[in-house]
Amino acid sequence: MLFNSFEFLIFFPLVFILYWLLNKNLRKQNILLLISSYIFYAWWDWRFLSLIILSSFIDFIAGSKIFISKTKRQRKNWLLVSLIANLGLLSIFKYYNFFSESFADLMNIFGWQPNDLTLNIILPVGISFYTFQTLSYTIDIYRKQFEPTKDLISFFTYIAFFPQLVAGPIERASNLLPQIEKKRIFKKEWFNAGIIQILVGLFRKIVIADSLGVYVDTIYGDIGVYNTTSIILATFLYAFQIYYDFTGYSDIAIGTAKLLGFKFNQNFNLPYFSKSLTEFWRKWHMSLSYWLRDYLYISLGGNRKGIKITYRNLMLTMLLGGLWHGANWTFIIWGGIHGLVLSLEKYIKSNSHSHKLKNFGVFGYPITFTIVLFSWIFFRAQSLSSATLAIKKIIQFDLSAPFIGDINSVVNSLMVLSIGILFDLYLFNKKIDLENFGEQFSVLKIAIISSIIIVLVNLFYSTSNNFIYFQF
Amino acid sequence: MNTINLKHIIKTFALILLITFIIDKIVFFALNTISDKVYTGQSIGKLNHFLKIKDSVDFIVFGSSRANHNIDPIKISKKSFNMGMDGRKLAYPATLIKLLPKGKKQVILLHIDTENAFSKDYSGNDILALSSKYNRNKIIKNEIDKLNQSNIIQKFYWSLSYNNGVLGIIKNFLKPNYDFKTYFGYDPIYVTQNQKNIFKNILTKEISEKCNENFSLNNIYDNSLNEIKFFCEENNKTIIFFTSPKFNDICKNDNIKLNEVMKNKKIKYYDFTDYFKDNNLFEYWKDKEHLSNKGADIFTNSIKKIIIAR
Repeated sequence: MLFNSFEFLIFFPLVFILYWLLNKNLRKQNILLLISSYIFYAWWDWRFLSLIILSSFIDFIAGSKIFISKTKRQRKNWLLVSLIANLGLLSIFKYYNFFSESFADLMNIFGWQPNDLTLNIILPVGISFYTFQTLSYTIDIYRKQFEPTKDLISFFTYIAFFPQLVAGPIERASNLLPQIEKKRIFKKEWFNAGIIQILVGLFRKIVIADSLGVYVDTIYGDIGVYNTTSIILATFLYAFQIYYDFTGYSDIAIGTAKLLGFKFNQNFNLPYFSKSLTEFWRKWHMSLSYWLRDYLYISLGGNRKGIKITYRNLMLTMLLGGLWHGANWTFIIWGGIHGLVLSLEKYIKSNSHSHKLKNFGVFGYPITFTIVLFSWIFFRAQSLSSATLAIKKIIQFDLSAPFIGDINSVVNSLMVLSIGILFDLYLFNKKIDLENFGEQFSVLKIAIISSIIIVLVNLFYSTSNNFIYFQF
Repeated sequence: MNTINLKHIIKTFALILLITFIIDKIVFFALNTISDKVYTGQSIGKLNHFLKIKDSVDFIVFGSSRANHNIDPIKISKKSFNMGMDGRKLAYPATLIKLLPKGKKQVILLHIDTENAFSKDYSGNDILALSSKYNRNKIIKNEIDKLNQSNIIQKFYWSLSYNNGVLGIIKNFLKPNYDFKTYFGYDPIYVTQNQKNIFKNILTKEISEKCNENFSLNNIYDNSLNEIKFFCEENNKTIIFFTSPKFNDICKNDNIKLNEVMKNKKIKYYDFTDYFKDNNLFEYWKDKEHLSNKGADIFTNSIKKIIIAR
């Protein structure tokens, strides 16, 4: 089920009413959340519910076993069970074809032609997200940072909780599970902030991101046909399309959770206002970047084993972070670019002789944005050859007028993008988190702001596309 | 949840509904007032122009951009209009035809595509381009509802009628694109060097086309054809269906099948897909489906002969 669908417009109010009616009975409330989360997921494809249930079941058992194991070896073995089961499912459903194709390509170099090993596998929506979420549970227990739950329903609800099931934020057990196990209290402030955040998210997604997508899809759909300026313009617009698409989804998810009395962590914090790539990753898809830092980078040794190992760890983390986004070399290269620049920034920071370079000042903003923009070419291109073609065409410097297509559609996109950027600038200047925006507003103010957003959505929404991050 | 919180929720939602309802209606009526004065631009101006002249013209062209860019109606009749528009298939012109004056003798030229006729996915959603008139025109409302294309939310939020059209309307209200009194709906394409390069690029990396071999006529298409035929027979209209030329059409079976369908329905139909096959020049085209002004000139002359010979 999509947040921006008519089904969700019916589904959520029903869940909301039933949920608060059951407020006196925590168990019944959690059962309702679990059932509604499964319905939410099954709306896409009920067969893949079995994967979520299997994954939840394995980690519920593994978590308890790790906790009660007396020896380190036993604990390690149970952690391995969890890792192999979850990463195994992820590998089969997400990466099997990629690895078998890459293997065949490699064999071709040596003159061997293996049989076609690829399978017709559907990628289950949200598998990358709930796999990381469930892994955080067993790893935290293994690290003795968290105690396992004894309540099966709570745990299954934690994995399947519908606001964040298919595209995050990736909520750690340490944040979400205690909230599931504790009686929720309706807070007016959260309700107010939740309503505003849902509507802002909806505007960002179906008005801004989807409008920008029309132009971007046209250019990237046939990159060889268009000139330098068209490709640069499309890449620039894509930077905002993916930002507003994903931050919009996160806003709706966080706002929806707030209406149910849950507090998720912030997932985006105006990432394009960053003076360095390091800062960018503290603001972009924060639930993923902190997950990668805590469970991958630190597990690899982090920066505790010398500078060379730190660079290696950074590169590995970002390459795997790229691969997490999709089974394609384009994502790996995207991760590689980020890893390289992050390493470079670390080098500059650690090198006392380069004191002047430590701080780019205001120039840090455009420099960081340009690097991010360049990396988006790989992220958006359908294949490696398409990405290299885009770069080749850019360096041809054919600076004739860009392809415009439907002028009305382009003007519309640019206008709604301006609204989005102005709103972000306002939040940035006033140092306001959208998560708290609206908490203290009066009912009348909430209603007026909501009404304006709704009318703007009615007037400018673009035909629905899937949220980009669903494919990851 | 206590009653104070319950009251807060109800009050918030009630106020949101009330205020959105009021703002929505203010916006809707304001846009109605503005848009009624707009006669230029593709988003609504051309539709208003058509509604203004539909009772006085005797020759009208309908269809997609391939009708719009390919036929200059004024060469055929002084009282004419080309109502072809980008992205329009059959549901849109079928509805506009039903708005024509009953009993007045008129010749209608309607462009159709084989792809849409045999597409199982065609849902008639091109009719949504008439959404701006949904809450104001009974025939349009009925047709949109009949095709299940109405948005249930639109019954409450009328401003949805103007989705994605606002800027175009305001722009054309403040600064009309052209003098609509000298405009007959035909938009010739004067191909720029950039467009020529893009088309050449496309031709150099020709990808083999997969032909559709499913030839069951789409239900919505079928109904629309029958309704147009019936309306025209009942109301003194001559309807001629046609398919515009293509640069190099590989799939032929769909054309043969559509010819059969039209023959069975006893509808006058001309398939011009291969019109330029034996006399083709690059300069006649903007791309594989749209003629340049030069190609359109030649093509219009042929259409004129057919209309005169009728």
